Amino acid sequence: MSNEQSSIAFPSTEELSGPLLRVKDLRTTFSTPRGSLTAVDGVSFELGRGETLGIVGESGSGKTVLARSVMGLLPRSNTTQTGSILFEETEIVGAQEATLREIWGAKIAMVFQDPMTSLNPVVRIQRQITESLRLHTSMDRAEAKATAISLLSQVGIPSPAERVRAYPFQLSGGMRQRVTIAIALACSPRLLLADEPTTGLDVTVQAQILDLLSSLQSARQMAVILVTHDLGVVATRTDRIAVMYAGHIVEMASTKRLFASMAMPYTQALLRSTPRISQPSHTRLIAIDGRPPDLINPPSGCAFAPRCTYATDQCRSERPPLRTAAEDPTHLFACWNPLQTGNAGSITTAKGEN
Amino acid sequence: MSSTTDAVSSSATESSVGVSGAPKKRKRKALGTIFWISICWIGVVFLLAIVASWIGLDDPNNGDFSLINSSPSWAHPFGTDDLGRDILSRVIYGARVSLIVGFGAMGIGMSIGGTLGMIAAYRRGAVDTLVSAASYVMLAFPALVAVIAIVAFWGHDIWKITIIVGVASTPLVYRVIRAATLSYATREFVTAAKAQGATDTRILSRELLPNVLPTVISYFLIGVATVIILEGALAFLGLSVPAPTASWGNMINESRTYLSDNPWLALFPSMAMFLFLIALNLVGDALRQSFDAQESKL
Amino acid sequence: MSAETAPLLSVKDLTVSFKKGRQVVQAVAGISFDVYEGETLGLVGESGCGKSTTGRAIVRIEEPTSGEVLVAGKRLTGLGRGELRRARTSIQMIFQDPVSSLNPRRRVNDIVAEPIDIWKTETGDQRAATVREMLEAVGLDPDVAGDRYPREFSGGQCQRISIARALVMKPKVLICDEMVSALDVSVQAQILNLVEDLKAKYGLTLVFIAHDLAVVKNVSDRVAVMYLGRLCEVAPSDDLYALPAHPYTQALLSAVVEPDPEKATTHVTLTGEPPSPINPPTGCRFRTRCPSAQERCSSEVPELREIAPRHQVACHFPTLRP
Repeated sequence: MSNEQSSIAFPSTEELSGPLLRVKDLRTTFSTPRGSLTAVDGVSFELGRGETLGIVGESGSGKTVLARSVMGLLPRSNTTQTGSILFEETEIVGAQEATLREIWGAKIAMVFQDPMTSLNPVVRIQRQITESLRLHTSMDRAEAKATAISLLSQVGIPSPAERVRAYPFQLSGGMRQRVTIAIALACSPRLLLADEPTTGLDVTVQAQILDLLSSLQSARQMAVILVTHDLGVVATRTDRIAVMYAGHIVEMASTKRLFASMAMPYTQALLRSTPRISQPSHTRLIAIDGRPPDLINPPSGCAFAPRCTYATDQCRSERPPLRTAAEDPTHLFACWNPLQTGNAGSITTAKGEN
Repeated sequence: MSSTTDAVSSSATESSVGVSGAPKKRKRKALGTIFWISICWIGVVFLLAIVASWIGLDDPNNGDFSLINSSPSWAHPFGTDDLGRDILSRVIYGARVSLIVGFGAMGIGMSIGGTLGMIAAYRRGAVDTLVSAASYVMLAFPALVAVIAIVAFWGHDIWKITIIVGVASTPLVYRVIRAATLSYATREFVTAAKAQGATDTRILSRELLPNVLPTVISYFLIGVATVIILEGALAFLGLSVPAPTASWGNMINESRTYLSDNPWLALFPSMAMFLFLIALNLVGDALRQSFDAQESKL
Repeated sequence: MSAETAPLLSVKDLTVSFKKGRQVVQAVAGISFDVYEGETLGLVGESGCGKSTTGRAIVRIEEPTSGEVLVAGKRLTGLGRGELRRARTSIQMIFQDPVSSLNPRRRVNDIVAEPIDIWKTETGDQRAATVREMLEAVGLDPDVAGDRYPREFSGGQCQRISIARALVMKPKVLICDEMVSALDVSVQAQILNLVEDLKAKYGLTLVFIAHDLAVVKNVSDRVAVMYLGRLCEVAPSDDLYALPAHPYTQALLSAVVEPDPEKATTHVTLTGEPPSPINPPTGCRFRTRCPSAQERCSSEVPELREIAPRHQVACHFPTLRP
């Protein structure tokens, strides 16, 4: 899974073997007035350098909390985290803020959903970009400004030398999102977390932003975790996809494999309930009944069982473990009655799971 | 058709536990014992002020000259003042003044200012611009100075004071209620009501008012407290209700000369005012917190 | 749905202008379309194209600057306040934000019954029965949901309540303004199915405004594409998506992401950003980003004209079918 670091002209780092990111049995719990809410419940995965992982789920699935956990961006109070997030030998869970601050921006960067709220409205673009540069590198003001202008042109903003002096409100939604990407990429991080980066943007702008992310990623050999609710967004731009539901990863496979032979009824249901341009008008959507479970009092057994058309008694009483598919050991799923005909694989222990 | 039904009973019951906060009983954040004590105290003061004439108090306006400036005793639990008048009785009768001026003035302020504020926030446009401009002008004028001037000119009986203070409080009430209404007036349920053909009056009274009411109530109570203090300020300038009528402000004012001789004169009316004001503030604040907590769930 | 029958909703030369400071923004610049009884017209476009403004102007929540709106032959524009209020029951609207569309301090029963209360058409038991019927029709249990407050419901359920409220007075036309945009994918599917079912059950005529092309295709019989306040193309859904004639429609369709890894991501990248509606380009408003733009496009505003049965395009150089 690890790719070779290619010799691109940005501050290079020592070669490290092994995956860039290793998440093992991560569990994030928030204490709320109503009880403790387990937003991420035992998630494990690995990410290699330059790889793109798509994390797909609806609201309440835990995908945003997972992304923020990986970054270490969760609030300190009322939050408990167990498990391990190993980013290049640094443990994120329980790390000191000083350690995290060295990583933020420089090694891991995040692009958020709403560019209007993730950009400081009263600070010029230039300073928002150079802030990160000045913090993590030894550039002086002039160098930082030049780098900022170069970054703006890399993200496709016309007249970057003028635009760099603008305020966020003077730019359109698509432009602002490009600026947040520029800020994120300023110090050439190894890992980019993009949390719903195109939700709310127009479809043409969405396409442009996604293309931009792809091209920047391949130029910089950067790993990307793309968090979204839209299966369309991840279909052509990711190497692997993890589907989340109620805080668990319920299926994970390479992108092509996932769409070709998905195992989880939830994944199938998600796909079937999304209207598609390729379908004729008035195609009846196969909607999923009910609503996502209450994460404070999750149901016993499989979290999706109450809404699953294939659910059996076993599904309702026992939570299925993540298993590998027989034909493809990188395809993980958690289901007692997976979709492939017959038994979709022996019950071998998936890597990292107990 | 099962795909359209929202797993009807299970999810709707789910919603009562899963979506809302606590199960239905604990709808509001508990208001607390302090709140209830304060409410009781306010109630007690009201009650006493109303039944003052019937509970056999000593005459508040005529005193027994043989007992000037006496300390508390069985006959006079709060002592007597420099004219031999029973302080307890004066404090209770004095509550009337504070209550009438306080609630009366705020009542006027809320009715005029509150109504205008709601209308301005809902209608916007010319009405809003004009009335807001007028309110700015009025607010620019130092309220206390204006009140003093007008009271001195027009006369200071209890009703005139109430009216003057009431009108003076209108611009501020207008601004507050207008701001509170604005946050609701822009919401789509108001547009939806209009789209159903509701008249403006109906929208104001049935859609906006229930949402603004919490702000109105808590602001009202805090406003009453402010007005009562204002009455005290007027008293210090000799512009509150004329002697011999008792009012807390008057009593505190008169007690200044006798502070060394008879500290009881100052103590009891001050305590009465203090306790009442703090009760008002606590109630207003508790209500506001409780409504804010509800708001955040909305 | 022949051309001979009169349309149920008719919009003629609708213009909506706003004053922004000293400048005038023409959010909707003279659009015309007809919606026939029992059909769903999808109105699609990107942000800033004026589709929501159009919806609101039709219902006169925003006042049209000029133009006409007719519902069942009766003019809606130009009505005085009292008459307008009375006319409102025939055309209802559903909004984007499900939670903000409901008064947080009223119970669901009262919210749904509000139109009845305003117009005093029913009382007592009859009123209660109607409310029950509507709540059931949208898939909520009246016994469980009726007495509760909106905050106890999810976004999808709130949207169902809004639909129930809109249908209580049996309107002729329903304008859905981005009604599923704020909902999760699986809930969106439920609501779309619900709308289809209700449309069949109550014989509704819909104008479905959205920015998601796939959603619009799924729910509409005909689709109208808007750009910067003007209509670009109007055609039956399957036709429009299969053989778009207007360059903008083509660009939009090619940019849509499909959940299919085999689909190639080559698409017509629109150059630049949409121009500001304050200073729109002369002539065809799309010409600054159009790959086929020519001289004529800057001097002459293209009008909607029919290039195939029921397929209209506002373009000087549309892609004609073979």
